[in-house]
Amino acid sequence: MTAGMANLHGNHACALGAIAAGCRFFAGYPITPSSEIAERMSRELPLVGGTFVQMEDEIASMAAVLGASAGGVKSMTATSGPGFSLKQENIGLASMAEIPCVIANVMRGGPSTGMPTRPAQSDIMQARWGSHGDHPLIALAPASVKEIHDQTIRAFNLSERYRVPVMVLFDQVIAHLLEPIELPAAGSLDLVERRWANGDDGYQPYAAGADGIPAMTRPGDGHRTHTTGLTHAEDGFPTQDPDTVTRVMDRLLGKLDQHGQDIEAFECHDTKDAEVLVVAYGISARAARRAVRQARERGIAAGLFRPITLWPFPEQALRTAADQARSVLVPEMNAGQLVLEVERICRDEVRVAGLNRVDGQPIEPSQIARRIEEMAADD
Amino acid sequence: MSKLEIRFAGSGGQGLILSGRLLFQAVVLDGKRAAQSQSYEPTSRGGFCNSDLVVADREVDYPLVTAIDYLIALDQIGVAPSAAMMAPGALVLTDARLVPEPPEGDITLHQLPFTDEAIALGSHRAANVVALGTLVGLSGICDRQAVGEAVREGTPKAFLDLNLEALRRGFEMADELDQGEPDGKVVRL
Amino acid sequence: MTETNPAGFEIRDYLRLDLMPHFMCPGCGHGIALRALLWAVHELGIEKDELAIVSGIGCSGRVGGYIDANTYHVTHGRPLAFATGLKLARPDLKVIVITGDGDCLAIGGNHLIHACRRNLDLTCLMLNNEVYGMTGGQVSPTTAETRLTTTTPAGNTEPAFDACQLAEAAGAGLVGREVTMQTPALRNLIKQGLEYPGFSFLEVISDCTEIYGRKNDLGESAEMVLSQKSDMRPEAYGNVADQPFRPNRLLTGVLARNERPEYGETYRRHADGVANGGKAGA
Repeated sequence: MTAGMANLHGNHACALGAIAAGCRFFAGYPITPSSEIAERMSRELPLVGGTFVQMEDEIASMAAVLGASAGGVKSMTATSGPGFSLKQENIGLASMAEIPCVIANVMRGGPSTGMPTRPAQSDIMQARWGSHGDHPLIALAPASVKEIHDQTIRAFNLSERYRVPVMVLFDQVIAHLLEPIELPAAGSLDLVERRWANGDDGYQPYAAGADGIPAMTRPGDGHRTHTTGLTHAEDGFPTQDPDTVTRVMDRLLGKLDQHGQDIEAFECHDTKDAEVLVVAYGISARAARRAVRQARERGIAAGLFRPITLWPFPEQALRTAADQARSVLVPEMNAGQLVLEVERICRDEVRVAGLNRVDGQPIEPSQIARRIEEMAADD
Repeated sequence: MSKLEIRFAGSGGQGLILSGRLLFQAVVLDGKRAAQSQSYEPTSRGGFCNSDLVVADREVDYPLVTAIDYLIALDQIGVAPSAAMMAPGALVLTDARLVPEPPEGDITLHQLPFTDEAIALGSHRAANVVALGTLVGLSGICDRQAVGEAVREGTPKAFLDLNLEALRRGFEMADELDQGEPDGKVVRL
Repeated sequence: MTETNPAGFEIRDYLRLDLMPHFMCPGCGHGIALRALLWAVHELGIEKDELAIVSGIGCSGRVGGYIDANTYHVTHGRPLAFATGLKLARPDLKVIVITGDGDCLAIGGNHLIHACRRNLDLTCLMLNNEVYGMTGGQVSPTTAETRLTTTTPAGNTEPAFDACQLAEAAGAGLVGREVTMQTPALRNLIKQGLEYPGFSFLEVISDCTEIYGRKNDLGESAEMVLSQKSDMRPEAYGNVADQPFRPNRLLTGVLARNERPEYGETYRRHADGVANGGKAGA
């Protein structure tokens, strides 16, 4: 695809963003409503010397992505709720062994098979805690076709820089939405390349410098390192020594902490004096944007805080946005997931309420507008 | 911000998503901003299918329809899910043969023989494009030339002649309506 | 003492010696399989830097870590899927999968049949000890009927897989079986697998003396090894020789060849065609 204006579906924008970011390996498994990402990648990757493979199941496609990434190639997969569940085992391996990878999850209603063709925002907590054990990861939630493209590029950059799995979470509405977007010219993008081990004597594959991120080896570079899902010491080999485990796990679990400014993306609309603050992401944020604008037209001091990075949650930014708020509304197409994080951050200062839909229908601007009015009247 | 909401409703397999896409391309060619979405049942053929378009003069905030200004219904199955979402005074074009019970209320309704006209042109499958032509002709949502260009760009080669013919027939039907009947009156052909 | 042999194979050259002593039980057959593998690697002149070993979970999964190469110890049952991604992304590497009967045939069974079908250039070494040893001795898909395990306290009632027949039927390019007792023969079989340009499935009959052997009163390590090819597990295999005096002798060596194109090559040729203006494309 050449630079300039293009009319794209969200799923296709995801595929083109990946190609632009340097993704050269995709392994996937068909699942509604994400399959168009795999279909597009199967056409695009051969054109840039990359490899597409449809694996035998969701588990295999995640494992193959890790294999390709371990081989030194930027790699991704795409899926939806049930497939995302199956991928969690190997997402855990990616976190533990610090293998960069990008997972697009086009969320749909659950539990189980749920409503495959209906939108939902049901995997916010699965994204964070779906794999067992504490583990570092990043999750991004774009709200438009353009943003799916740009955040997919950013997902690769963050994954390569911090060696964590990065999830791009969106829903069926924007996955299948057609919007005009401006595609950047090749070469105009700021792409992050993995930091490779440089062959120093005494190199240890999991020893990190001040930034907490170890340099990575690739097979063939002469380091001949060991990569394992077992808890391992700096040398890469398994250990159960409590002191060593504490040291390496502190580094692993804390490695994103000092990089919040780079990782946490968000958008604020009219938050400075907002008395009713709406916190929304993805398609719900677009409904919220209209609702907030309508509320302002009626003289209500409403504002919108839109986290683009969901995990790690932009905690300080939310505190700032909620500074003048008396109540916070969190509309989500689930039974109340991100609201728990918002409550954790804000509940001492303000009243936090959810606005939830689990019927496979998007939350409409009018619903949010009504709740804003009610909350403004209550204050 | 001024915005328009358009829905092509009917049954899966009627080419509604293509109609929405073609109109989307036409309005974008016309310099407007737009978002096109779809909702459907999990069957490729036969379930209800909505293909929606929100057109605005700047970036579309909420991309889904909430108050439909223009409804094109090609099958009865598409009517019920849309009935509660009509904007006051909406223009509704229904297929005279396949929608025996059109929506009611504060709307302008035209029951038109889209399918019959398409059959006369060679295939019932072009009914979606006949309807698209009629809609553009009646509403002026975009330039007729722009939708012609969109059809030329967005139609598979094998169907191009048929679709261009169907579009032209749709424009004609709009012209016939404009000349024959005043706005606001139910027209039966 | 330094071990040498006429071919100049020095196993220490291929091991991570600082990890010794290894974790395998006395009498475990996996060490013999490891030796045969490294011997084959040596004789074929495969560079350690270009060698990638992918293993799963279980006793077999821990074997790869002792090899001085690029080693990946991944999730249970998934080494073939991981290796598929690695090999497709890095066709320049020699990729060997070390797996076990539980890892490969139970939790990883789906990956095995599709790896066979795809015929990507991987060598899969399945160390079959008929039991889940790492977890304490539970029944596996290759445990012979009537055997005692910790989850078949009255004897196994499930029929066992013949992994080689499975791999052959699924389309593996080369299928073979060997016993650890015949180490040079095992080395030769592994060499054939490594040289084969496609997916080779090699079943290695190994022994778990410490858990399985003891539980079933199969004797000491030497006795178990000696019985590998004869009457120890006949009912587990459809693929046996029908001979007058050894009616259930286990067949070994190369058991099947499916002459099929190697998948990585096929994909790259197809992709090049697309990139050069052939059919498909955006």
